[in-house]
Amino acid sequence: MPDTGLLLYGGAFGLILIGIAGIVLSAHLVRIIFAVALLEAGANLLLLLATWHQGAAAPIIVAGRVPDLMADPVPQALVLTAIVIGVGILALALSLALRVQRAYGTLDMHEVRRHMEQDIADEAGIDMPSSSHAPAAVQTARQESGA
Amino acid sequence: MNQLALLVALPLITAFLLPVVNRVSTLAARWLGPLVLLVTSAIGISLWSQLGDSAVAVELGGFRPPLGITLYADRLALLFALATSIGTLLLWPSRGEEWLRQSTLALILAASGSGLALSGDLFNIYVFYELVAVVSYGLIAARSSAGSFAATVRYLIVSSFGAALALTGIALVYQATGTLNLAQLSQLAPTHLNNLQGLAAFVLMLIGFGVKAELFPVNTWVPEVYATAPTRVSGLLAGVVSKLALLIIVRLLVLVFNQPEALTVMLVLGMLGVVTGELAAWRARDFNRMIAYSSIGQLGIMFIAFSIPGQAGVFAGLAVALHHLVVKPAMFLLAGRWQGSLDRLAGAARTSPLGAVLFILLALSLIGVPPLPGFWAKLLVMVNLMAQENTLYSVGAWVIMGGAALEANYLFRVASSFYHRSEQQTPPVAHRTRDLATASLLGAGLVAGAVLIMPLADEIEGVASQAANRDQYVQTVNPEALP
Amino acid sequence: MQRLSSALFLLGLGLLIAAIFRGMEFGTVAPIVGQAINSAAAEQVGAANFVTAVVLGYRGFDTLLELTILFTAATAGGMVLGKRSPTAKRDPDAGFILQAGADLLFPLLVIVGLYIILHGHLTPGGGFQGGVILASAFFVPILARPGTRMSHTAVSTIEGLAGASFIFIGLLAMFGGEAFLTPLMGQGELGALLSAGSLPVLYLAVGLKVGSELAGLLAQLSESEAVD
Repeated sequence: MPDTGLLLYGGAFGLILIGIAGIVLSAHLVRIIFAVALLEAGANLLLLLATWHQGAAAPIIVAGRVPDLMADPVPQALVLTAIVIGVGILALALSLALRVQRAYGTLDMHEVRRHMEQDIADEAGIDMPSSSHAPAAVQTARQESGA
Repeated sequence: MNQLALLVALPLITAFLLPVVNRVSTLAARWLGPLVLLVTSAIGISLWSQLGDSAVAVELGGFRPPLGITLYADRLALLFALATSIGTLLLWPSRGEEWLRQSTLALILAASGSGLALSGDLFNIYVFYELVAVVSYGLIAARSSAGSFAATVRYLIVSSFGAALALTGIALVYQATGTLNLAQLSQLAPTHLNNLQGLAAFVLMLIGFGVKAELFPVNTWVPEVYATAPTRVSGLLAGVVSKLALLIIVRLLVLVFNQPEALTVMLVLGMLGVVTGELAAWRARDFNRMIAYSSIGQLGIMFIAFSIPGQAGVFAGLAVALHHLVVKPAMFLLAGRWQGSLDRLAGAARTSPLGAVLFILLALSLIGVPPLPGFWAKLLVMVNLMAQENTLYSVGAWVIMGGAALEANYLFRVASSFYHRSEQQTPPVAHRTRDLATASLLGAGLVAGAVLIMPLADEIEGVASQAANRDQYVQTVNPEALP
Repeated sequence: MQRLSSALFLLGLGLLIAAIFRGMEFGTVAPIVGQAINSAAAEQVGAANFVTAVVLGYRGFDTLLELTILFTAATAGGMVLGKRSPTAKRDPDAGFILQAGADLLFPLLVIVGLYIILHGHLTPGGGFQGGVILASAFFVPILARPGTRMSHTAVSTIEGLAGASFIFIGLLAMFGGEAFLTPLMGQGELGALLSAGSLPVLYLAVGLKVGSELAGLLAQLSESEAVD
């Protein structure tokens, strides 16, 4: 087992871990979106490495010469697909983030969530259950403006 | 049988061309979508009648499996492909400002849902799953309110997280076996995937595909999305899309991962889903979130049912799933005018008597009151759970009983308020005719199911026994043995 | 408190992944499908680039769906971002150097993009890579002159027709009695520009679709940005 392989596999799992950590730990929406992109990159790298072989040539025939050992073309095609899917979702996520920022004036997910719960409660015509995330000052300000 | 690909290709090509058609004639663009879905439904029905007990595999691109992608249709797959087409047709987006984009998205949802049910290739399933996800983001955000954007982006993060985990699981499977064809994986699984890596791959895919199936830890999006999305879209997501995700998990369990540990994981997550979903529904104070949480509970029952090993589990789970497929969209259609606080519903029976009766019918079936189909489905699950030796399964049975008691409590609380006269408050406005007509159609289907329960049960058992038949799948696809 | 529980969750996940990692045997399983494709692709598909043979031949269905995902993301993005208000302020145009540079780059980018698309079955590259270059060709002038607007009618017509033609080529095979998306028009001579049957046509459709989709998405985002 060559060391390059270990390094690459370690990198793939590392990217996956960093991505998950970013999603779980950060509160800023744009950071979370980039953490998702990192997680996807890790998954793609792992897929590419699934049948990776040290020293395999690209699976392309140039001037009729067939290489002795060619890389597996399937994961390369799969990763191409997965990357394009990721780009589409990333663009949509950023458009949504733009609108959320414009509506609530913040990208902090705790704040966004509180505003959203408030919106849902207002529309439904029920009181909002007091949230443990909301600072007390904001809640009193809301009550005053509502009164 | 070659027409199988048309179930995907026809709605897709229509979706691509719809903006162009609209520039020529708005009238044509309005009617093209429903028309194409009628055609695909007709194709689906004709394929169903030809199918019988056999199954077919279509080799896309003319390449023999496992090199190319295969579509596989047994009666289960065809049933869900058909349910997607008909469901999208029934819940076709109402006319609004963005009707063109919404119709385009609805057509793509029909195509991708059918494809998800039919696909026989692991990575192709992932791509279809992502397509369903992106379409649902668009449809949820269609209301263009700040709340719906926030709910969509939160859903997008959970869903992309799940999809990336599923992709990691697929990478682990490909690393262990070198193939993506489900039939070939089924042949290789006993020697290559019956280990820790195989179990890890399954759990990753269970969580990944479980996002749409409202599986316990990854269902945080459910109440927010169903409270902010257009009610027709919520009906589609809860009724049809969640079942498609479940169908994939069942296929994976039947064909590839038949370790007992995999079933236990699913059973425990299902029980947690029932407990948390029903408790939250019981506490909910607005209509949309009440039925959203109750759908988490119902899907938990399906996960418990499908975790019963063998054909019995597939039969029981399928019965609950089909019942929910009919009931939940009808509930969401009623939510169209009744969304908001439950207190506002006092006296709703005066303005919408038919709606109130329908709600009570659906609620009775959801709780499991005989002779409605919901009772038979739950009975089937309970009997099979009790027949298992493992005590965890009897715990599952008690959890379902407890959930049903809670359901009865909160659904009747709502139903009784319909007939409660309150002087200070005006009851909600009557339902839109189209919503009420569609909901009545689904309710009539439920009653017909209660009357014809014996032939229906035989039919579902036939579908389940075919779906649980691993050998038929492998022989029909017949992947070439490679060195 | 929430931070702490998240950190604990991550620690557990890390240990789990480490356990899987230790149990995995890297590179012991031969890529059976990949090897079979490597030995059969030249004869079955006729593309010298086997990755292209997989992307458009063996797994052409995936590629069709991938295009659909881009199309869907662009449609949904258009719905989310909404229409631009006509009174909104625009960014000022860039200076002379950037404008002249953008004019100079435009034809070069178009040619390079088309070259990469049309040689996708022979060399690394293809519809996706070339399509992205095409998209940038149309987007660079917008960066130089934020006032100019991309014609959304043209963009949506190109994306609709390009996507439909991909499916149409697939359906043509079906009317000929073969399976959906079967490559047409023979294999040709391996390595020649006009080889691999309908694959270059499919890649051209992919390239145009990816290009128009991405250009449309970028233009929507940049137009929306200027509203604040």
